[in-house]
Amino acid sequence: MSIEVRDLSFRYGKIVALDGVTMRLGEGAVGLLGPNGAGKSTLLRILLGFLVPERGGGKVLDYDIRREQAMIRRSVGYMPESDCFVAGMDAVTFTSYFGELSGMPRQEAMKRAHEVLFYVGLGEARYRLLDTYSAGMKQRLKLAQALVHDPKILFLDEPTSNLDPNGRSEILELIRDVSTNKSIQVILSSHILDDIESICASVVILKQGRLAAEGRMEDLRAIHYSLYELRIKGDGGPFRRDLEAMGCRVDETEDRLIKVYMPEAGDRMDIFRAAARTGVQLRYFVKSRTSLEDLFAGVVGVD
Amino acid sequence: MATVREKGYSHWDGKLGERRFPWWPITRTGIQLAFRKKRFKFVFAGAFVPAFVFLVGLYVSERLEDFKSFVRESDRLLNIGPKYFSAYFTNDSLLFLIVLVLAFGAAGLIADDIKHSSLQLYFSRPLSKTDYLLGKMSVIFFFVLILTALPGLVLVIFKLIFAGSFKFFLDYPWLPLSILGYSALLTVFFAFYVLLLSALSKNARYVIVLIFGIYIFSNVLYGILNSIFRTPYMALFSVSANLQQAGAFIFGQKLPQAVPAGWSFLVLAGICVLAAVVLNRKIRSVEVIK
Repeated sequence: MSIEVRDLSFRYGKIVALDGVTMRLGEGAVGLLGPNGAGKSTLLRILLGFLVPERGGGKVLDYDIRREQAMIRRSVGYMPESDCFVAGMDAVTFTSYFGELSGMPRQEAMKRAHEVLFYVGLGEARYRLLDTYSAGMKQRLKLAQALVHDPKILFLDEPTSNLDPNGRSEILELIRDVSTNKSIQVILSSHILDDIESICASVVILKQGRLAAEGRMEDLRAIHYSLYELRIKGDGGPFRRDLEAMGCRVDETEDRLIKVYMPEAGDRMDIFRAAARTGVQLRYFVKSRTSLEDLFAGVVGVD
Repeated sequence: MATVREKGYSHWDGKLGERRFPWWPITRTGIQLAFRKKRFKFVFAGAFVPAFVFLVGLYVSERLEDFKSFVRESDRLLNIGPKYFSAYFTNDSLLFLIVLVLAFGAAGLIADDIKHSSLQLYFSRPLSKTDYLLGKMSVIFFFVLILTALPGLVLVIFKLIFAGSFKFFLDYPWLPLSILGYSALLTVFFAFYVLLLSALSKNARYVIVLIFGIYIFSNVLYGILNSIFRTPYMALFSVSANLQQAGAFIFGQKLPQAVPAGWSFLVLAGICVLAAVVLNRKIRSVEVIK
């Protein structure tokens, strides 16, 4: 396991940010999900060695998160969410600079900076001043500085924010390539569920500082509930209440599509029985493949 | 823009090492970035004018007979000794030029990092807060030492060369130590002074204004308070007056103000301690992922 934490707890004053989180993350790309205040950033801060947990502990690449923070930082790459650069530098100097600060020899860092800048698509612009870079270029640059020292784990915080659709798909392609072909583990924290769904094989969902769900996406979809989509004719109120009384979560989209999240133990025939009891006609019924959005809504309880 | 993965990604087969001085890349880059500014190069070159003037003075002092018509009654000024060196180090123009160099070359050392959110990049590397601050401070060490210790020692060497004997050195064997000691004091003080102000704003231009403003305002304040209270202790409010007091003490000269030099050392040390506390708080407060 590359990341392993147990009973991880942290609080900012009286506010509990993490409360007894225990998890093990293996190879591949892992999505870190959760609503605002769920504890994602605190978890990343602890994994990067920025914060010392109040209780519990863990290891990142076999380095203790309490005692070997410098070793962790040397072995991981971090791409922050906000724009960050050093004014007055060009991309080559910037990237090699952070390579050097990670412990690379100066000449090696410079050579490597050229390579990663070509890799992220900034080869032609590598001698331009960073102050003149567009949002998409800055995003690529952040990825380049995170990759320059060839980390074993890459922490990406909202890597596609502020990007146009083309830029977003290119960054996602890079991340996918890094995580699948280059044996670099990616921990991706994002609010864009599509990004996580398209890249990550497994996901960690945090809710109010606690671990709400963790595991392979396929397993999570299967374990928690079945999703049915239906359209009805008639008064939906009693029908909905009936389903909720059976333990189902019921959501209705703007185009009046009803999504029923049925518990694992439930029987789909119960939906038909409820419809008969409440006098509504079922005009459309299909068992849907749960998207990450559905999973997120089901686990965290928000749309 | 080039297409993605034009050359592909390959693993680096080197080994990441632990640097003996992890702050050195920060220092080297800080110095390089300062010299990329045309305005700074001009100011930096200009800051050597006092050293050049004092060097000419040294030469003239050894050739008084040749320059008799020029020197006339100024020959007392050209009596080369600790007073001459004290005059070089504590004259207002050198101190102001140091402030000028630092304002244009070092104001953005921390301010720019805060403005462009790059602190999180530094601290995601195996760098401690001390490494980061030491790296930034060393940029200031470099600029101040090159304007103080280097010319001071060069002046001593030229004095020996012009005189053609070691008599001067034998008369004042402690002088190089005084030069190094006062240079170190100026260096440490200005490092804390500039970094403190650089950490207080995101805008390097405001920091430039602060660096000048506080330096000049403290002098003005001294003048006003002195005219009201008529006591030399008001000099303790002035940055330059405190530096001059300390300089005169280190070079064994008569103190310019009738105030024990220890007070000035205390004031300067107090500013450094205040700066260290503020830097510790400011740098910690952004050492997080947003």
